[in-house]
Amino acid sequence: MTLAFAGGTHRTVPIDLREQLAFSAEQAADALRRFRDRFPGREVVLLSTCNRVELYAAGGDTAAAPTPGQIVSFLAECRGIDERILFPVLAGDRDEAVVRHLFSVASGLDSMVLGEPQILAQVKQAWALAQNSRTSGPLTGDLFQAALRTAKRVARETALGRERLSIPSLAVNDFARGVFERFDDKRVLVLGAGKMARETLRYLREAGVRDVVVLNRTPQRAATLAAELGGRAGRMDDLVGELAGADLVVSTTGASVPVVTLEAHRRAQPQRGGRPLVVLDLAVPRDFDPRIGDQPGVWLYAIDDLAAACESNRRSRQRQVPAAVAIVEEEARRFMGDLHHRSTAPVIEQLRAGWSETGDAELERLFRRLPHLDDAARAEIRQAFERYAAKLLHPPLKSLRSASHAGPPHGLLDALKRLFDLED
Amino acid sequence: MSEFVAGISVVCFAASYLVALACEASRLLFRSGIRGAAMVAFGAAGLVAHTLFLGWRAAHEPAVPLSSPFDWYLLAAWLLAGGYLWATVANPRTPVGLFLLPVVLGLIAAAEGSSRVPFPQSPATQAWGAVHGVFNLAASVAVAVGGTAGVMWLIQAGRLTRKRAVTPGLRLPSLEKLAGTIASTIPLAATTAAAGFASGLVLNAVNRRHGLLETVPWSDPVIIRLGGLVVWLVVAALVARGVRHRPGAARTTAWLAVASLACLTASILWGILVPSRHGPPRQGAAQQGEAPRPPATGETAVGGAS
Repeated sequence: MTLAFAGGTHRTVPIDLREQLAFSAEQAADALRRFRDRFPGREVVLLSTCNRVELYAAGGDTAAAPTPGQIVSFLAECRGIDERILFPVLAGDRDEAVVRHLFSVASGLDSMVLGEPQILAQVKQAWALAQNSRTSGPLTGDLFQAALRTAKRVARETALGRERLSIPSLAVNDFARGVFERFDDKRVLVLGAGKMARETLRYLREAGVRDVVVLNRTPQRAATLAAELGGRAGRMDDLVGELAGADLVVSTTGASVPVVTLEAHRRAQPQRGGRPLVVLDLAVPRDFDPRIGDQPGVWLYAIDDLAAACESNRRSRQRQVPAAVAIVEEEARRFMGDLHHRSTAPVIEQLRAGWSETGDAELERLFRRLPHLDDAARAEIRQAFERYAAKLLHPPLKSLRSASHAGPPHGLLDALKRLFDLED
Repeated sequence: MSEFVAGISVVCFAASYLVALACEASRLLFRSGIRGAAMVAFGAAGLVAHTLFLGWRAAHEPAVPLSSPFDWYLLAAWLLAGGYLWATVANPRTPVGLFLLPVVLGLIAAAEGSSRVPFPQSPATQAWGAVHGVFNLAASVAVAVGGTAGVMWLIQAGRLTRKRAVTPGLRLPSLEKLAGTIASTIPLAATTAAAGFASGLVLNAVNRRHGLLETVPWSDPVIIRLGGLVVWLVVAALVARGVRHRPGAARTTAWLAVASLACLTASILWGILVPSRHGPPRQGAAQQGEAPRPPATGETAVGGAS
């Protein structure tokens, strides 16, 4: 049983080449079918995401998996790319390294954003596509099931992927949700309409925000944005009034001086009735006078504060890597042990069959010599023979299983074949 | 079955709560897939044992059930443990137990330091005694819940002020939710504590007028400490009400709730350590099967928070 993979990621393959190499779902299904025709008797799974294209192949006892070089040539042919361009940027490996690599990929350890969880769904999809295309089999099935199990273990036992790394997600989930329990009764004031504000508003909508007010220097622009964001347009000259009514402000104007001064805030504050105010100031330069953050009841977060928290989370994820790698190593060793043990199955089967045949012959001879034995006695004797055979077989089978964890037990298998005159 | 229930001791449920607390604390150190189930299992086991223990005592006490300082503290702990279990099942990712279970264990420790002899009662004042005990129980639970919410508010606000992302394993409720809990518990604690204190005064006055039982002198430490606690809780409620529309009001009320919990703790410790004429004697005669007797001057006596 052999495994092989070849492919490339954002680390080695330039984006323009990645775009050419990427497979759509239909193209992937077509590639799988072509692979089956080209390499009959082998199993294959193709993983294609925006950051990686990797083909995993497996071969049985009669037909070994193609080499990584053959896989690169196959990928080049499928995508119509000169293979001389692909060979320097694609990598490949065989057997245990394939297992370790796939387990790392599924766990997010090989992703552009360390620990990102989307890759797990993409691995599942790739395997499902192979199943639908009937190019997967028992070996790739076990391999991908073990990869999914490993990824779940990494997610469960480490904090890898738990902390948020994007500024809008962190701003809403770690800060705004820290202040507010619910958002369906809160008013969000959007100042300006940068890309970051739209992204932040997407998370706020998911949190339940319904009441959105958009302010912009140009009323027409404010109206357009309000329609786009599902809110109402306000007037910039009523900034103090809108501040008084808002619970959360997302600010991304391109103004060169603070849009909300300390004085403006002080004028709005008495009308707020003591309600807390969360300000996500995502603009550079800042839209809010930083002294507003020192006022009671105000939670002001500038872009640098949020970026620093994201960086802290990134470092925290890095600290989880050794624990995650240890899980991947442990699972890879376990998988390879099981795989090697599986390769001993034909020899064990022959051994059992041989012993069973001999035992049956001896029993028949015994029963002929002792015709007075009734059925119950015969059954007892038969069971005793079977137990005896099983006990004799137990030590060599145990040794085989132990040896499988260290690698293919070729020496023991050869010894068994020679000792018991088994066929190759 | 009855032998099994009779064999349940304070150590059984205190140990369960302690293990649940250790599970809660381990959230800060590592992740685990089975911890949530373990926390609920130990919390529930503790609560079941706690309930059976109180039920057994209620059924086998010679006087009014659960009327000793020992039972009073255990009842307060039982209510808070039930609250912990409900909060943990409803919000498994929030480590409420980290803050509530120490209070539960503290009350159990206070129970162990208190008399198991029921308070002296006469049929004429039994109703006043029950009102006194129930109001004080409600006040203590309200202060404990408000105080733990106050501690959580201050920790959560500290994180938000320092602009730190959520620490894995320490995802606390929002400030809004915590402030809501505090805002409802402060006036409740003040009202019930005042009612409990007033009913205690009435009880004492009735006993004094009719010469039913040995009465507590008006200068007794228990009256001074409980009076002080009531005054504090009423002032805290008035301050909380006065500032509720001001910016930063939630921080003020959080501190008030924490200070109230500190006052309650001090009051309980004072009650355990300082001799009083209120309540039964410290050494539990009832444990030895003796009938309750009125306290003698100078004996170490507690009234819990009552």
